[in-house]
Amino acid sequence: MIKINSKNVDVYYGKKQALFNINLDIEENQVTALIGPSGCGKSTFLRCLNRMNDVIDICRVKGQIIINDFDINDKSCDVVRLREKIGMVFQKPNPFPKTIYENISYGPTIHGMAQSKNEMDEIVETSLKKAALWEEVKDRLHEPGTGLSGGQQQRLCIARAISVKPEVILMDEPCSALDPIATAQIEELIDELKKDHTIIIVTHSMAQAARVSQNTGFFHLGELIEHGSTDKIFKNPENKKTQDYITGRFG
Amino acid sequence: MNKNKEQLLNKRYKAEKRFRLYGQGAIFMALLFLTIFIFKIFSTGYSAFQKTWLIVPVTFDAELMMLEQNPSKEDLKDADYYDIALKSMADLDPNANEDQENELKRMVSYFFEREIKRELLNDPSLIGKTKDVYLTASDDLDQVFKGNYPRDLPEDQRRVTDYQLKIFDQLVELGKVESKFNLSFFTYPDSREAELAGIASSFMGSIFSILVCLMIAFPVAVLAAIYLEEFAPKNRFTDFIEVNINNLAAVPSIVFGLLGLGILLAVFQLPRSTPLVGGITLSLMTLPTIIIACRASLKAVPPSIREAALAMGASKMQTTMHHTVPLSMPGTLSGTIIGLAQALGETAPLILIGMVAFVNTIPGSPLDPAASLPVQIYIWAESAERGFVEKVSACIMVLLGFLIIMNLFAQIIRHKFEKKWS
Repeated sequence: MIKINSKNVDVYYGKKQALFNINLDIEENQVTALIGPSGCGKSTFLRCLNRMNDVIDICRVKGQIIINDFDINDKSCDVVRLREKIGMVFQKPNPFPKTIYENISYGPTIHGMAQSKNEMDEIVETSLKKAALWEEVKDRLHEPGTGLSGGQQQRLCIARAISVKPEVILMDEPCSALDPIATAQIEELIDELKKDHTIIIVTHSMAQAARVSQNTGFFHLGELIEHGSTDKIFKNPENKKTQDYITGRFG
Repeated sequence: MNKNKEQLLNKRYKAEKRFRLYGQGAIFMALLFLTIFIFKIFSTGYSAFQKTWLIVPVTFDAELMMLEQNPSKEDLKDADYYDIALKSMADLDPNANEDQENELKRMVSYFFEREIKRELLNDPSLIGKTKDVYLTASDDLDQVFKGNYPRDLPEDQRRVTDYQLKIFDQLVELGKVESKFNLSFFTYPDSREAELAGIASSFMGSIFSILVCLMIAFPVAVLAAIYLEEFAPKNRFTDFIEVNINNLAAVPSIVFGLLGLGILLAVFQLPRSTPLVGGITLSLMTLPTIIIACRASLKAVPPSIREAALAMGASKMQTTMHHTVPLSMPGTLSGTIIGLAQALGETAPLILIGMVAFVNTIPGSPLDPAASLPVQIYIWAESAERGFVEKVSACIMVLLGFLIIMNLFAQIIRHKFEKKWS
């Protein structure tokens, strides 16, 4: 089933066009990897999906992105509610400089998802368990989240993102600041999370894309060159450029 | 070739050595000036914390005080103390003629009558008895006792007469002159008489001005900074505002004084010489300092925190109030305290709005006339009496102490809150 349907998406930074006519469908409860060389627009596209590009003054987005039969670029779309449905994990772990507990409880608090302290405790526990962090931090929930290691911080950010039960989780190179062991943990986690969430991950590592994703889109110079199942893209790409990138001839 | 390289290396080491030497020299100079400054102020000012008292036997003669038998408390308050006060001073030299009696009277402060009255009100049973009473020595004798007075000058060039000195020396020999901690320096308002002048009115004036300044400048500046940094669109107009705020910070303070004079006093008819007007004027000066500090610390909050909050579905307002502003508070607060410390030391604008007036009452609210510490320094520095010289230095010491405490506070805030999360 198709979760996100983007039609003719163009993005401009001032006068410079960053994305050209992107048409990409995202499958529900699967992992979609976006790959491509630096500056190809894959992160820009990812940020279109939860309207994070609004933050950038000079950025303009054209075209339709349809999630649940609803165009998120429409004027009637409420960004706050959209971002409740679509969580995001960033390249560098960015926990709030608050306690581990407060990091998780922030989203449910502002969206009014817990009626009592007990309910909140439960949300915090399940989120941390889902992010495979519970065992490591259950005794120090009230210590600063910034005191954790890099990999733990990133899992904390994932726990924070899933605390509001989003339908989609966007991940912008979530492992680029982590060591191989932490990366393996996160990849395992992604596999687990796709049962409940649709996941879109931007990655520089083709090996990672091959390991975690079911679908892959290849971006180059602002264009979506090719997309399809990961198997097909990696084993039997249609486009010459895709082939060159996959085999490491450029990028 | 190798030799050349060695020479080059030596040259580089020498340059580094020279640079270190310049740096150490600069620090040495700075410390030297600071030491000289502090030493000068302390050596002139420390004696102001001591006050000289003459111990004079006073006879509480009911007849001279116009008191009836068994006087009530009210009677005691209304009684005439001038005659017994005068008599007790005159009695210091039984052979004094009228002129000399006058000179004797001037050996103590004009407050002596009240000091005697206070003694009796404390202990009404003294009526008809004689008791040694501590009377504040005149400022000139105070200086004589402290050794700051040029006694060798010819008599017509000094305010203390030979006769007064003779009697004073006799009293010293009898142990009837005492030096005690000068509490009145802190509890009395300003006075024309150096021995009675204190910093209470200017200290309270400074406190009230700073409070008014804080209450106006802090909220306005923080709101302005948050709006400009987080919400306002970045365009020519906001650039223009930013340039003007920076210019405002560079405007000489006397200009703000003229503004206060022209608008607050002339147009709005606010009461002259009050900490209210002083505080508003100072807040205009402090405003750009706080805005700049607050904006800088907002800018220093990493954008990743804002993105994290926005991506969680927080609104712009929630992102700002829950995350950005709390993180910027240490910087904002220490900037505020430094701005207030500047305002505390400001003289020129306060002189223009009339806080330079002679105020001999202690203000109880920002609406009462008052001076401020730096203006008090200015007023006393202009006074001719020798007794004010040490007062100027003492007042500077109080002001410096105040400033040091504020800056220390700013440091503590910055340290404490910044360490917490990193």
